[in-house]
Amino acid sequence: MNCETARQQIVLLIYGELSFEEEEILESHLDACVECNQERARLEKLSSFADLAESEVPAGLLARCRRDLTAALEQERRRPSLSSIFRGFWQKWFVNPPMWMRPAGALAMLAVGFFGARLLPDQSSALSQIGVSQGPPPTISKVRLVNPDNSGQVLVHYDEVRPRELRGNINDDRIRRLLLAAAADPADPGLRVDSIDILKSQTSDNEVRHALLNVLRADTNSGVRLKALDALRPYAKDPDTRKTLAQVLLSDDNPAVRTQAIDLLVQSKEPDVAGVLQQLLQNEENGYVRSRSQKALNDMKASVGTF
Amino acid sequence: MKTGATLALDHGPCRAVGQNLGMDEAALIRAAQAGDQDAFERLVRDYDQSVLRLAMNLLRSPEDAHDVYQEAFLRVYRNLPSFRFDCNFNTWLYRIVTNLCLDHLRKRKVRKTESSVVETEEGSIDRMDSVPEQRASSDPQRALLSSELRTRIQQVLAGMTPRERLVFELRHFQGMRLRAIGETLGTTEEAAKNCLFRATQKMRSALGEFV
Repeated sequence: MNCETARQQIVLLIYGELSFEEEEILESHLDACVECNQERARLEKLSSFADLAESEVPAGLLARCRRDLTAALEQERRRPSLSSIFRGFWQKWFVNPPMWMRPAGALAMLAVGFFGARLLPDQSSALSQIGVSQGPPPTISKVRLVNPDNSGQVLVHYDEVRPRELRGNINDDRIRRLLLAAAADPADPGLRVDSIDILKSQTSDNEVRHALLNVLRADTNSGVRLKALDALRPYAKDPDTRKTLAQVLLSDDNPAVRTQAIDLLVQSKEPDVAGVLQQLLQNEENGYVRSRSQKALNDMKASVGTF
Repeated sequence: MKTGATLALDHGPCRAVGQNLGMDEAALIRAAQAGDQDAFERLVRDYDQSVLRLAMNLLRSPEDAHDVYQEAFLRVYRNLPSFRFDCNFNTWLYRIVTNLCLDHLRKRKVRKTESSVVETEEGSIDRMDSVPEQRASSDPQRALLSSELRTRIQQVLAGMTPRERLVFELRHFQGMRLRAIGETLGTTEEAAKNCLFRATQKMRSALGEFV
């Protein structure tokens, strides 16, 4: 390493932005070069001087900001949003229209139904777009409106849910899309686990990997997160995976997830893992996770504390 | 300097606060997205001190910092429903805050000269008074040196480009990693590194006689 490179790296050394290896090489140079070592001392002093420039938040400013924000948010909430304007319009003209409009509305709906049925093919493309087979008849999920008229007829608006089936290979894009949707279904952790288990063989696909990283980061169920961790095992060296693992290691509330995250991070054999583990040790309360972390640091021949 | 440890964690500046939240933060965000106002307020409380400190350090004006605080959290409130966990919440929040601060700094660059005295609701405030009188203690000679240094540092900071100033601020005072700074500013880690290097060089040239 020459002095010019060393001087550029001293700034990064002071801010702890060098990797373990880079730091070692620079330290060797600094040990041997008096001038560069003096430069380091100067920059360290400079850095401490810069602390003098830190502003203090004036007393009362935070309270004033909070007070004003509360008022601004209140105003924001009172302001009618586009959706509420649309809802009002819908309520006024479609849900509870004026009496004089009702016969015209009924006639218009009949016309739309009549012509719509003739325009659509026998099997609606909206329902068959993913090529599913015919299943059992639909069930009514919600009745939205009942509207009697003077002739004794009743107009009923309702939603229907039609169960469908699709059988196909995991490489089939339609199957994969359905599995990705199931892996994010908030209602059923079991379904999420099963879907991730199948998607495990598809982690070479960026979309699948991205979805698994999202599950690992944000799923509320630790069992599902563990499943996602397991599926990501072959990609422990992938930068996005490592980044998420570091986040999970420092923020997940489940010790088993943290332990697994340590195993995967260590598997990547990247130098920055030591820093994450040292960071973890500063706050980790779980004895087992601590000991795994310490063991991993020992195996890497890294110090347990930060430096 | 706030951090000197060789940590490779790619986190934002609020990790110290957000760390304890763990998975609760995602739940909080989801609740706020669903319209839970208490959850939104808790999110604000978890981050607002750091946001205000950052704005205050960058803009050196209580009024500007107040404006950035208001605008940032209003934007968060309006756009939270479309937040999809594609990045960390704090990265997203800091992107909003730093963009607002950059706008202020750029406007200021256009105005060029400005007085250090600003008018506030409570009367006139000299922005230089917001800088703490650290380490001066009761030694008049040290106090003089400290005051001179502070003035010089203020001048160097004012002479930096808004981007250099932002990177220096986020790295030096907020303790953010360069990679996270790059993400926040929508640039690369390398570009953030170069900005930090230039900023430090400017400091070095201006304060050479003191070190």
